[in-house]
Amino acid sequence: MNDHDKRDFQAGLEGEVDAFMRGETTRRTFITRFGQMTGMLAASGPILAMMTDWALAQQKLELADAASPLGQAQAAAMKASMEGPADGSAFRAVQAAKTHSGVTLNMTYEAGLQALDPRNFSGPMWEQLTGMKSNVVELSNPDQYSKAVAEHIAGSGAYDVLDISPAWTPSLADGGVIAPLDDYIAKYMNPADLADYHPLYKALPTYKGKIWGFFDDGDMFALYFRKDIFEDPKMMEAYQGKFNAKLGPPKTWEEYAQIAQFITDQMAPKVYGAGHFRKAGSPGNQFDFLQQFRANGGKLFGEDMKAGLASDAGVKTLTNMLAANKASIPGNNELDAVSLWAAFLTGKVAMIYSWPPTGRMAANYSQSATAINFIPQSQIAGKVGYAVVPGNPEHATGYNKALSADSPNPEAAYLFMQWACSPPVSLARCMLPYALRDPYRISHFKSELYGALFPSAKEYLANLNNSANVGLLDPIMPGAQDYFLSIDRMCTAVWAGADPKASLGTAATEWNETTDRLGVDSQKAFFTEFLKLPGATADNTVEKLGMAVTL
Amino acid sequence: MQHTATISRMKAAGAPPRLSAFAQWADRHFKWLLVAPAVLLILALSIYPLLFSMVVSFINYDFQVPGHAFVGVKNYERVVFDPVARWSLVLTACLSGLSVAIEFVLGLLVALTMVRSFPGRGVIMSILIVPLFISPVIVGQAWTLLLQRPFGPTNYILTQLLGQEVTIGWMTESPWLYVSLIIADVWQWTPFMFVILLAGLTAISPNLYEAAELDSVNAWQAFWAITVPHLGPMMLLALTFRLLDAIRMFDTIFIMTGGGPGTQTYTASYYLYTVGFTQFHLSQATAGSWLFLIFTALVVMLLVRRLLKAEPV
Repeated sequence: MNDHDKRDFQAGLEGEVDAFMRGETTRRTFITRFGQMTGMLAASGPILAMMTDWALAQQKLELADAASPLGQAQAAAMKASMEGPADGSAFRAVQAAKTHSGVTLNMTYEAGLQALDPRNFSGPMWEQLTGMKSNVVELSNPDQYSKAVAEHIAGSGAYDVLDISPAWTPSLADGGVIAPLDDYIAKYMNPADLADYHPLYKALPTYKGKIWGFFDDGDMFALYFRKDIFEDPKMMEAYQGKFNAKLGPPKTWEEYAQIAQFITDQMAPKVYGAGHFRKAGSPGNQFDFLQQFRANGGKLFGEDMKAGLASDAGVKTLTNMLAANKASIPGNNELDAVSLWAAFLTGKVAMIYSWPPTGRMAANYSQSATAINFIPQSQIAGKVGYAVVPGNPEHATGYNKALSADSPNPEAAYLFMQWACSPPVSLARCMLPYALRDPYRISHFKSELYGALFPSAKEYLANLNNSANVGLLDPIMPGAQDYFLSIDRMCTAVWAGADPKASLGTAATEWNETTDRLGVDSQKAFFTEFLKLPGATADNTVEKLGMAVTL
Repeated sequence: MQHTATISRMKAAGAPPRLSAFAQWADRHFKWLLVAPAVLLILALSIYPLLFSMVVSFINYDFQVPGHAFVGVKNYERVVFDPVARWSLVLTACLSGLSVAIEFVLGLLVALTMVRSFPGRGVIMSILIVPLFISPVIVGQAWTLLLQRPFGPTNYILTQLLGQEVTIGWMTESPWLYVSLIIADVWQWTPFMFVILLAGLTAISPNLYEAAELDSVNAWQAFWAITVPHLGPMMLLALTFRLLDAIRMFDTIFIMTGGGPGTQTYTASYYLYTVGFTQFHLSQATAGSWLFLIFTALVVMLLVRRLLKAEPV
């Protein structure tokens, strides 16, 4: 170091010493504090993770009053899991799963109410029975698809059990995201428990001859109507006088619009004839169009896979839907599913068709849970009748439980799925007041315990079963989201005044573009597979195939 | 004190402190060490995703079509030839332009009112800026509750005020759905304009107005001759910031109209969201994002250039 350097160094050093004496930060203290801060940052990660785990940890097992029907169903599920029958799927799953004690299963669920079942009931019960923990990953509905694919591409093994829409099965199976269950089923499952599925739902997870999951949510549309209005002698007389027909649940879509208009004319603004969830982005448009279009004889695709929307059936469907809109509550086109429920439960609407929770809410059963208290109390409890939607009701999406192909614990994950979907456990899950899982097994429809949940529960279950007998499935093929989105855009454009024929043409063009993008031959193969399923068209419903379930 | 004593002893000895090899290296490169975390963070969180998204826009990255084959400019073509994309760009320009213009005028009026002291001014100002702190999703939900038929009270109130039945479909009928979206945006963001413009107004010397008053200049003339020129840079700043934010309009549309009816309320952001996260065509959405970025960059360049040129008189 020469003199010049030494002077510089000393000047710098003196500066630092002076700064230190003044209590200011020196380089040394800066480095020390920076090191401390980095250390704290490094430590904060695990601490935050621990706090998050604690915050999102499984709740304690929540059981209903043992004397209530739900409490009895929960006790029966526990008993079947612990004591058998020895050949029951629940018992066998639990016995086999004990060897996986300590494993944590990561399972995706739709965020919100759907996730409360594994958090409060099935997850904690499974842990109590097997020592396996569960980590519920709450996702929005589209993310239940996209995240599963993204994690598969990344090869992260982040998920073990996936809750998926049946429409996604072909894409996820062909993409290697989900694994077939056939070997596990042969090893662990009682075949009688597979036979217990309603025929409409049994084949839903089947694709290319393999089983890719367990169906787990009977989202069947049904008609809910005000018996007090439909059975009012004055209304019946007036209807008879006007149409020379008996006032009752409609059998055709024309009759549906006619009855809705009649009630609106007679009772508005106190009560309106009907209501629908028609808001853009709300799935009501796609489901309603698909069920009416196919009931009107419409074909989704032709032999050449060209869209069949722009047809007489399409025009008839939109015309009927417009007539129904006109007869409905003001703001009908702005309603989503929840606001439609609010309109029905507060007595403003005489009939709606929607998912099965409608019946449980109308009877004020669901609202017994605080988690669902954003739904208004029913002012129509005891006044609601049930009927099959005119023509063929839509099975509006539903859920399959699927096994992630990247799961580090595939057998443990499978065993949870088998247990959760087994007859006694799935019954208890479907009966949870806050759950949005709806009956799908024959044993559910026949259940005395479910039938005792509210006064008209047996009638409600019978109607869901009858609806499934003639129900139609959403198209199960790649691109389903694109096809559905085109329908939603088309419908909402028509509600806003666009020409139905032109709108059908636009939607058909969009469908063709989607088909071209995904490959015509490939899409044709998928669609051909779909057509094999009972309920794929109005000509091959469960009932028409001679497989109808009679309770 | 121990450190000082050591250093004093070393100074007395005339020898520089001996540093380890690592300490010497650290001493030489200290400045780089300081900026390294920030640079790494930017590289990891900004540059890498940007480059990756560029790659994605030229390949197939679609959750419905397996494989990641190179597709050239096909993703860009799909966006350019998609009428919905073109419409969304037009709507974005119109909605953001109109919203920001109204917000600017209202914000300026409120700022001019609030620049003078009066009793309760502090309370009123606090209330006025509350919308700024509310999430746009909540704003959308609140306006939905107010406007949505049959439960929202808006039509009822208008009916009472006008003496005739009002049955406006605020979120399904054109042009009312655009009015609804603009109202929600203006309600939330006018305070932003107000705050910035108020800051600019308070910075103008009162001497100028006093001098103008002595010269018998009226209020209107003073506004144009003193306020506008001096507030110019702040006006441009407020408009730039707000416009850059407004062209990303998404949340209120997602909640209030869901993009509908049809595709009537698809803004560019909503279009990209739908393509990417409803239809899962990620590469097409990424290509669209790049195109949108180019348009945005042009607007930004124009505004920033004006902003840099603008100087108070």
